[in-house]
Amino acid sequence: MDIETVGHAGAERFAMGQSVPRTEDPVLLRGEGRYTDDLDLPGAAHAVFVRSRVAHGILRGIDTDAARSMPGVLAVLTAADLAADGVGLLPKTVSLANPDGSPARNPDRAALATGRVRWVGDPVAVVIAGTAAEARDAAEAVTIDVETLPAVVDPEAALAPDAPQLYDAVPGNVVVEYRYGDAAGVEAAFASAHHVTRLRFVNNRVVVAAMEPRAAIASYNADDGRFTLRMGSQGVFGMRNSVAKVMGIPPETLRLLTGNVGGSFGMKSTVYPEYPCLLVAARRLGRPVRWTDERTESFLSDSHGRDAVMTAELALDPEGRFLALRVTGVGNCGAHTAQGVAIPHTSNVVKNTVGVYRTPVMAVHTRVVVTNTVPVGAYRGAGRPEGNYYMERLVQTAAAEMGIDPVALRRLNQVRPEEMPWTAASGQVYDSGDFPAVLSEALERSDWDGFAARKAASAARGLLRGCGLAQYLEATAPPSPEMGGVRFEADGTVTVVTGTLDYGQGHAAAFGQVLSTRLGVPFERIRLVQGDSDRLVVGGGTGGSRSAMASGNAIAEAAAKVIEKGIRIAAFALEAAEVDVEFDRGAFRVAGTDRAIGIMELAGRLRDGLDLPDDLPATLDVDHVFSGAPSTFPNGCHVCEVEVDPDTGAVRVDRYTVVDDFGVLINPMLVEGQAHGGIVQGIGQALMEHTVYDAEGQLLAGSFMDYALPRAADAPSIAFASHPSPARSNPLGVKGCGEAGCSGALPAVMNAVVDALAERGVRHVDMPATPLRIWRTLAGG
Amino acid sequence: MTTTVRLDVNGEVREVRADGATPLLDVLRDQLGLVGAKRGCSYGVCGTCTVLIDGMAARACLAVAADCEGRAIETVEALAPGPDRLHPIQAALARAGAVQCGFCIPGVVMAARALLAVNPAPDEDAVREALSGQMCRCSGYGALVEAIVGMGRPQDG
Repeated sequence: MDIETVGHAGAERFAMGQSVPRTEDPVLLRGEGRYTDDLDLPGAAHAVFVRSRVAHGILRGIDTDAARSMPGVLAVLTAADLAADGVGLLPKTVSLANPDGSPARNPDRAALATGRVRWVGDPVAVVIAGTAAEARDAAEAVTIDVETLPAVVDPEAALAPDAPQLYDAVPGNVVVEYRYGDAAGVEAAFASAHHVTRLRFVNNRVVVAAMEPRAAIASYNADDGRFTLRMGSQGVFGMRNSVAKVMGIPPETLRLLTGNVGGSFGMKSTVYPEYPCLLVAARRLGRPVRWTDERTESFLSDSHGRDAVMTAELALDPEGRFLALRVTGVGNCGAHTAQGVAIPHTSNVVKNTVGVYRTPVMAVHTRVVVTNTVPVGAYRGAGRPEGNYYMERLVQTAAAEMGIDPVALRRLNQVRPEEMPWTAASGQVYDSGDFPAVLSEALERSDWDGFAARKAASAARGLLRGCGLAQYLEATAPPSPEMGGVRFEADGTVTVVTGTLDYGQGHAAAFGQVLSTRLGVPFERIRLVQGDSDRLVVGGGTGGSRSAMASGNAIAEAAAKVIEKGIRIAAFALEAAEVDVEFDRGAFRVAGTDRAIGIMELAGRLRDGLDLPDDLPATLDVDHVFSGAPSTFPNGCHVCEVEVDPDTGAVRVDRYTVVDDFGVLINPMLVEGQAHGGIVQGIGQALMEHTVYDAEGQLLAGSFMDYALPRAADAPSIAFASHPSPARSNPLGVKGCGEAGCSGALPAVMNAVVDALAERGVRHVDMPATPLRIWRTLAGG
Repeated sequence: MTTTVRLDVNGEVREVRADGATPLLDVLRDQLGLVGAKRGCSYGVCGTCTVLIDGMAARACLAVAADCEGRAIETVEALAPGPDRLHPIQAALARAGAVQCGFCIPGVVMAARALLAVNPAPDEDAVREALSGQMCRCSGYGALVEAIVGMGRPQDG
């Protein structure tokens, strides 16, 4: 296949720990990947959604008559049609309780707008026609009569007593008020502290902008009453169940298929309004109905990320020991809680702010509000990057304010490896990690000591150089129950079935390496099945950096079950006692003899009809369910150097070094790719990505021409190194790596920017540190 | 007005239906089944639809199909020398671990082909410049750049 690998020969090439090339690549590189819009379903009609052009208003009427008479139009659906067909409300994602014990106030949200429109992009109707062009033309002929109301877009403004109210059922626009920790103890620690560092942060809203726009194709078979929905997701099993619930149908009557997915970053994980609309249309019309978002629509219909305003405070004693940490503020979840989520603004602030430091107490008090904006969902890290951003900016600022070396301040407060397991002030129990050693390696690899000379060289060119250090730690999502299915197929291949889903991570190679290592089956015979809900008995899906923990461990445990079955069958085949049969490197052997049978040969004998006694298993196949494991705590140290041009405000990332502890690496090449991608997304949020709304709720940064996504010339070369402490909380010893790049990059980049500007008296700059913002900061305005 | 247009696509003459505004991308994807070029933005910014027209990298979403008569159009489907083979650019990207979700990749491959045709040994800056029209949200670009720069280096042994 023209992709030669270096290093070990034979089976060792595909063992865990090797940088095995991705199984998916040949297909994707030849342009043979099949993303949803690439599928050709004969006879499919095309759907186009009609969306609100005002941010807030009372929906007085929808006139669809003109559209219905346009050429090629097959149907125009509104909320009334969905209700008539039994479609229920979209899921309510916020399950937290208020301090008084009352549940979060999730507003009712139907797939198409009822009563009011609440953001620019709110879907009001859907037009289905024979061609996409006909549907687009007819969608323009749908007239929406809206009585405009005042809009609110800023989360702090949404809390004002006179703020426009989005829902009667959400008083004060507050979905949930969230409290964590011993507020009185924290208050006491602050009152007696030698020094308090306080910073107010705007955690800027970002547009997720996966390169593949969302798309879906629905079809319905009247003969068996089953729906099929082809779409990009982060896991078909959970998505099937959630969509079926909205549709009011039994889950087994919906088959959810996901092929290639062109990026997601959390965004494609929720039940969007388009999906039930397409299913209803397919059932009514008796033909497949397809829909692909236009990019301009994606900016208005895909969940956004981040968007919070938080004040973080750190109390220190005279030597710089951390005494207490407090985070208070407000997070924006956008116009509703079906795509809008609370986790980034609540529990993930708790779990991901105190980081690698001994800090006796912490308190978090936040409110999650609705606004007239695109719903804010999970985006790479979902609270993990922002928590680390708050903490590492606080540490850097405290060091400057107290005149303590920032490295020394970190070393003074780090949890030490001999203190593991460590119960942090967040309540999280860290199982492993060598934070001092990770810091030391990062300083060495980044040539920390050479910074002064580089700064002088920059100064000679009229540029301000800054160096930023950030030592992050994040709590990954605890892996939920996940399927590890292993099937020995008739064609001699081995199928792995699991419910996490690849949208760029490279699961097939990594999971194949786990199975090949544990079972000794040839790597090239292993196939991964992940995107067909009919093949799964359970599936937690991808999200929160958990796939290696969930599916990796599910597959490893499934392999052990295969071996258990295999020993019994092999004992019969080898005419030996079960206790005498051992499994080693792909073969069952009778101990102390040369009698053995390879696992693939045994599978072949079973296929050929090996005549087994009734009490023996008939196949080696296993449908195992991994019961889950605790969160893991990936951590690492990022060192970033920037150059700022004081005349233009332009920032250039010049050097970037990262040392990560991701535990045991299944495939180092894939892991490094995840780190790179996360870091550049972090650089994007820190320096470039500015999601601007005007006061009326119009998204001004609504296209790739207005919204700055990092391009090749904006990204630095990144020096990556692994400094693993294997996780003690799961059998493979792996830690999540998918989101960690963002967690280190936000603080490292912003610490570097502030460091560069410090000589001009600057103490803090908010993200995104665009040239305009830097220039204005330096101009004192 | 829709007319028949004869296009030279990957060395074959193909007849398609197009009016004066039909984008080349629509013709490739919807009529010829060549879905390697992706619809990422449809307004010429993201680069996922990049193909070669007379050897130059071009946005298929902005190119008017009718204007492409008589010009040589090359899409990613033409590159690999066989069903189980990869073009050297494709192999280099796989070795470097440069592919993640893959949606931008056909465009990146074609942009790299256009660059290497005029500059067989590009340095890092030249590669980053050549890829400046190819958005990638997954990779951070490092492995893409490394793979393409590596193609210009003399190979050992």
